[in-house]
Amino acid sequence: MSRALSAAVLGVIYAFLLLPLVAVVAASLTAGELMRVPPEGLSLKWFQRFLASETFREALLLSLQVALTTVVVTVVLATLAALCHRALSRRLAASFRLAMTLPLLLPELLTAIGLLFFLNSIGLGKTLTGLQVAHVVIAFPFAFLAIVAALEQVDPAMEEASASLGAGGFETFRRVLLPLARPGMLTGGLFAFIVSFDMFTISLLLKPVGGNTLPLALFDFLTYDFDPTAAAAATLSVLFAVIGVVAIERMVGLRRAF
Amino acid sequence: MKRLLPRLLLGLPAVALLTLFFVLPYVEMVAMSFRAPAFGQPFGSGHTLMHYGRALGDPLYTGALVRSLLTGALITALCLLVSFPLALHLSRLQGRWHVVFYACIVSPLLIGVLVRNFGWMVLVAVDGPFNRWAMAAGLIERPVRVLFTQGIVVMALVHVFTPFMVLPIATALRNVRPELREASASLGAGAFETFRRVTLPLSFPGVQAGVTLVFVLSVAAYVTPALLGGQGIAYMPAVVVRELIGSFAWPFGAALAVIMAASTLAVVTVFTLATHRLAERTRA
Repeated sequence: MSRALSAAVLGVIYAFLLLPLVAVVAASLTAGELMRVPPEGLSLKWFQRFLASETFREALLLSLQVALTTVVVTVVLATLAALCHRALSRRLAASFRLAMTLPLLLPELLTAIGLLFFLNSIGLGKTLTGLQVAHVVIAFPFAFLAIVAALEQVDPAMEEASASLGAGGFETFRRVLLPLARPGMLTGGLFAFIVSFDMFTISLLLKPVGGNTLPLALFDFLTYDFDPTAAAAATLSVLFAVIGVVAIERMVGLRRAF
Repeated sequence: MKRLLPRLLLGLPAVALLTLFFVLPYVEMVAMSFRAPAFGQPFGSGHTLMHYGRALGDPLYTGALVRSLLTGALITALCLLVSFPLALHLSRLQGRWHVVFYACIVSPLLIGVLVRNFGWMVLVAVDGPFNRWAMAAGLIERPVRVLFTQGIVVMALVHVFTPFMVLPIATALRNVRPELREASASLGAGAFETFRRVTLPLSFPGVQAGVTLVFVLSVAAYVTPALLGGQGIAYMPAVVVRELIGSFAWPFGAALAVIMAASTLAVVTVFTLATHRLAERTRA
């Protein structure tokens, strides 16, 4: 009896977690003219309309551009920082790790407000460069944690062996650490991409004049319209997340990445 | 040892990035809150305390602040209620099933808040599935309008923050060794007694971390109330953004943001001190 009850409670909670995501994907696949869950017939026409809309297409391109730049910059910085983390003593490493993850622990809104003032004071207010830097700051902790987790799997004896065989610091990095850290770097890059692609509050406060990212365009659209084009735009995010989770599980194991 | 220094230097770019574009902006926010207002531009020259006086003396702002703090507390409590069973469930699974359910819980983290809120819009729309199912089941006679109420904002935020609560609790539960539960059971404690006196206290550090994180994030949540809450209810983050983007009053907006951050910190500090005893007991 109590077993059945606890199974039912768990079922409701898991449904609560997953239903909104299922609803988004289902609504985007409808063949009808209205937002309907379950969909009325299946078609991909709302994805075509999404891509045919100039507003959405421009926003999508800007989002992809910002997200890809974020990936490159973030992964390089986070890999270097993770190597530094590895060299620190236990105590120092814990403090360093906390400092590096602060942008994740403080509310995005406060960081956005601070950056709005600061970027303006150094002449980067309302510019693409400013927005780009902000995305890197917010995405950085995700990549850092993933790479640190991957490097923790590397036995320090490997580095010592490499050094004792006469390899220099860079040689050891290139031939021992880098190949072993690669799954972590890929995971970190994926995280950085997804975080940047979905970022809303930062982009709202810091967007360049006339430059909307996809989440901003979706928000604007939703304040006036409610048709499945919005679901098609949102389904892109769900799709990236699913690809991300599967890829991460394959490469390093989900458990280690979070 | 001589190779240590170059390794430490590798951290410099990241430290520089975060100092310049994370620490300094927070300093700038506090500094901005003391600047004089001006017409036609975001802020003037000179310094003043007037923004704090204005914000704390007007029930419009203090009301929004109190509402945000109370709603944040409610969201945190509901998150805890939803997350504990999930964390317990995770801690008892092994192998493949563990990965599947773990993925169910963490994958929403990789989907933007906006998209997850939009999912709720679809579900609770007047002609949406929830209303149709409830009508078909005879629970309601005509569709209920849920959108733009406080209830849906709270529910959507609980949905957004649940993973942040589950992860620390699940980590803490992993450290509760099964032998302890078995020992408790063999000493004659029932399932509930064992839960209350062994599992719950031992997982408390995770609860404390999760509660702090969810409270801090939910008080400052902007998107969800803006999208699902409509114009009727004013929460602090929306008020701050309106001052900054709408009215272009940067110093006043900054003062409101500092007040919001300081009150959140005060609540977290009180919570940490109040639960200090409980946490200490677990560590011993």
